[in-house]
Amino acid sequence: MKSFRNVNGKSNGKNGTNGTNGSPAGALRQNGSLIHFNSVSKIYSTSAGEFTALKDVDLSIEQGELVSIVGKSGSGKTTLINMLTGIDRPTRGDISVSGTSVQALNEGERAIWRGKNVGIVFQFFQLLPTLTVLENVRLPMDFGGVLNQVEREQRAVELLDLVGLTEQADSLPVRLSGGQQQRAAIARALANDPPIIATDEPTGNLDSHSAEQVLTLFENLVDTGKTILMVTHDDELASRAPRIIRLSDGEIVK
Amino acid sequence: MMVPTRWIKILKDTWSNRSRSVLVVLSIAVGVATVGMINHSGIIVRRDLFGAFDKGAPASLHISVSPFERGLDSAVESRSDVEAVQARRVTSGSIQTEQGEWIDLSLNAFPDIHDLDVNKVTIETGASDLGVRQIMLERLSAEGLGVEVGDTLLVQADEERVFPLEVTAIVHDLYTMPYTLLGEVTAYVSMDTLQWMGKGSYYNRLDIVVADNEHDRDHVLQIGDDIRERVIEPSGLQVYRMEIPGIGVDPGRHWAEDQINGFLLILQIMGIMAILLSGGLVINTVSAMLVQQIKQIGIMRSMGARRHQIISMYLFNVFIFSLLGLMIAIPVGVLGAWWLSEFAAGFVNYDITTVKPPLEVLLLQVALGLLMPLAVALVPIINGTRISIYDAIYQYGLGGEERQGLFDRALLRIRALAPPVVLALRNTFRNKSRLAFTLSTLTLAGAMFIAVFSTRASLNSQLDEISRYVMFDVTLGLPPASNIHTTLREANRIPGVAVAEAWGHGRAEIIHTDESYSEKIEIVGLPYDSQTVNPLLLDGRWLQADDRRAIVINKDLLEIEPGLSVGSVITLDAGQRERSYEIVGLTSTHLSGARIYLPYDEFGSLTNRASLVDSLRVRASQDGLSNRITQEALAEQVEARFENAGLSTSDSMTHHAIFGDFTDVFDLILIVLIIMAALLAIVGGLGLTGSLGINILERTREIGVLRAVGASNIAVRKVIVIEGVTVGLLSWILGALLSAPSGRALSGAVIDAVMSANLSFRYSFLGLFLWLLVVVVIGVLASVAPAQRAARLTVREVLDYE
Ligand SMILES: Nc1ncnc2c1ncn2[C@@H]1O[C@H](COP(=O)(O)OP(=O)(O)OP(=O)(O)O)[C@@H](O)[C@H]1O
Ligand SMILES: [Mg+2]
Repeated sequence: MKSFRNVNGKSNGKNGTNGTNGSPAGALRQNGSLIHFNSVSKIYSTSAGEFTALKDVDLSIEQGELVSIVGKSGSGKTTLINMLTGIDRPTRGDISVSGTSVQALNEGERAIWRGKNVGIVFQFFQLLPTLTVLENVRLPMDFGGVLNQVEREQRAVELLDLVGLTEQADSLPVRLSGGQQQRAAIARALANDPPIIATDEPTGNLDSHSAEQVLTLFENLVDTGKTILMVTHDDELASRAPRIIRLSDGEIVK
Repeated sequence: MMVPTRWIKILKDTWSNRSRSVLVVLSIAVGVATVGMINHSGIIVRRDLFGAFDKGAPASLHISVSPFERGLDSAVESRSDVEAVQARRVTSGSIQTEQGEWIDLSLNAFPDIHDLDVNKVTIETGASDLGVRQIMLERLSAEGLGVEVGDTLLVQADEERVFPLEVTAIVHDLYTMPYTLLGEVTAYVSMDTLQWMGKGSYYNRLDIVVADNEHDRDHVLQIGDDIRERVIEPSGLQVYRMEIPGIGVDPGRHWAEDQINGFLLILQIMGIMAILLSGGLVINTVSAMLVQQIKQIGIMRSMGARRHQIISMYLFNVFIFSLLGLMIAIPVGVLGAWWLSEFAAGFVNYDITTVKPPLEVLLLQVALGLLMPLAVALVPIINGTRISIYDAIYQYGLGGEERQGLFDRALLRIRALAPPVVLALRNTFRNKSRLAFTLSTLTLAGAMFIAVFSTRASLNSQLDEISRYVMFDVTLGLPPASNIHTTLREANRIPGVAVAEAWGHGRAEIIHTDESYSEKIEIVGLPYDSQTVNPLLLDGRWLQADDRRAIVINKDLLEIEPGLSVGSVITLDAGQRERSYEIVGLTSTHLSGARIYLPYDEFGSLTNRASLVDSLRVRASQDGLSNRITQEALAEQVEARFENAGLSTSDSMTHHAIFGDFTDVFDLILIVLIIMAALLAIVGGLGLTGSLGINILERTREIGVLRAVGASNIAVRKVIVIEGVTVGLLSWILGALLSAPSGRALSGAVIDAVMSANLSFRYSFLGLFLWLLVVVVIGVLASVAPAQRAARLTVREVLDYE
């Protein structure tokens, strides 16, 4: 994990972290924050009736912040992250990321936007099982069409070095431990050099040592200017983040 | 390694899911190879058989004439409506095989075999001159007899003397029915040789090519009539017979063209079915693949993949399948075409010039092999990638929603069955469109399978029907002027003969009320209580003891003389005398042509051959036919006895020999059809495995719950196997329903193609129940692998899947 500053130093110059790439013309940047939730609500309609998973959430996150999101099961953490990444749309309210109004984009535009702006790390099932770790890391660049093939290869190698998986580069995901898989997923999330990393319980499945490694990685990334949102159940890990957002029944309580 | 990573993913997926990939590749290959094989061999046959046939000036008409000298042919040739004429001598004899058996021989002589104007033959190997005491053999005859140039053959032209003839050449003659079909040897000699053999030096047939409209039957027959009236009869000669060569084909066409085209058409339909099925299998497998990859699709979307990128990935995957499928299909198609046309060549005696696949066949295969899978896969791919990233990742919308129809609710109400059975039954009907596909494949395979069996059964019943008129173990041809009493006395002395009858055979014309004549019709004189015929009377009655001017006709006669019925009175002219008869009975078809049965004495006086008979018919048992061995033993005794007594030197014929050959040709066709049905069954089974696999994938959670409540491995497997067998049984019911019309159509087509006869359809219940067995086995086999997979799922994996 040592050479990590170098990697980001390099790519910082190229891409910047405040990129407004992919934002439609006329998008505005509200009160200067990188991420801004303005009275966001999410209501699911189920056979049992309507269910409000998020209630008028207002939230601003600046560039370079490491934020942990905590709360009981069912409190709306995943829903909140999904709003940010554009995986799901809010029922009401407005979400702007780097000045782009996410909910205004259609699915296709969101895919492109997401590829450039947000790296996502899930709890389970991240890596495509038939590709090697290195190939998994190259894949987002392939979809994004950034860099040429040789540069993609180089960048993937550097990112794996960054997360300490140089030796596993050519292994298939099944051969990796849970922590290694999670770090490979983080390398992949960084592939297109997005300014934001959003993760839903990245350590939920890991032993404390691996979880520790992942968190250190996040702290280092924040130092290079990335903004990281991390959902977690683990209070101790959560407390290592400078900022903690606590959700209860779809509302921010602290 | 400059391949984009997303293509690498697809390549690696293809490789890591080898069995599924092989399945799709094979299903594409089967369909495309079948289409290639059928179209390619159609082209080969049309080019090399029909094409070569056309090049050799095929006769439009054969006119058999009383013995004539050269000059008649030039007189006919000078007519403007005649393109070419060939004088020919055709005579029969017998030839001895290596085993010492005597078999039928057709001897042909020409003015000059090297310079034929009609039905041209080519000399393949050996010397080109044909001197006295020399013979040339048609190549399939030579092959069948195992004869080579230089061998000496023993030939009998009449019942007395045996002539040794030296084989000087092997000839290829496309215009004669080959040895492999007729069992008759075709050979060529010079007129001098015939003279030497005491057969006289004259011609007796004119082979004619008309100048225009050469495929117009009426036109050709009209020219024939005109030639008879204006050229032949004025020369003091008699026309015995005027015949358009071939099995019911138009003049100038290959003798089996209708049969071959009919068979090609049946194959073409099979080809279309094969392509439809392989398309269905592609849809099925690609849907399975997409269901399996939903999460991966979600992950790829989460890293910025656009929908068209994902669609193109899976299309690329199908493209790989197609390419591999084509790589198998093209060579296999060529091999298949080669095999099929070689197989046909063994019967219709043509040379395959090249098996190089024609461009149009290749293009057809490439178009089908590449476009068909891509086109059909587009539907599941577009559907599968339409799912939103949210649903893809969180697995909502999969197996979650269940619309319940009447049927499902009815299934829920079944209480009497054990819970795993109910669960399996409900599972079966969950995804209706998938069920529909699997069902239709298996149903089609079943309908086809039963149809093939029904075709066999129909053929058998048809043969049984014909066999009624051939109820002898052995028949022996007798020389002219054989006395009935001598014949029967001799026959009854043979130990082992239980029934002996002698029949008279002849030909007669019906004189219509307008004085016109019918064509010559076979007439038979037989004892009224004949035991070697078991007539199926469609109308009227059979002959009786006191019948004098009464006859029984067969249904085949109605095809030539449609106005006749029981009660009609007709006048017969047998050359010597004319007499009128009342039709008292009508029998079923004989397939060997029109026939009139007369009481034996009446036959004798009509033909002016009282007490004379032409054939002996014997049986070893009073009750019915004997088996092949008994028939053959009896045949030897009869032949030996009659030869020793100086009564006949002819070959005898057993019942089995007549019908055995017939069924052989059919069995070959049926084997081809059964192979097709088996392919359909395999495809259906693979489809079932595929959909059971997807079902399990979709229901991983449910299986986990089954597990959690303590279901054993066996119980989990049972649910899946019951599901597989249920689908199999459902398809059996549907297939049974469909098999009646499809069986009728298939057997109609096959029997019409091969026998040019109308069909008496017989449904095969044997086929129906065999298919039941097959379908249950398919159901079990198809669910073994999925059930294994389901049983291997642990509770933990199932929870992980969440
Ligand atoms: N698609 C959906 N349809 C209906 N209800 C949903 C849907 N997705 C989430 N919910 C409900 O919304 C609420 C919030 O869900 P969410 O997944 O955000 O919770 P969470 O805080 O991530 O919980 P956990 O810690 O268990 O992951 C839950 O009560 C959940 O049942
Ligand atoms: Mg959650």
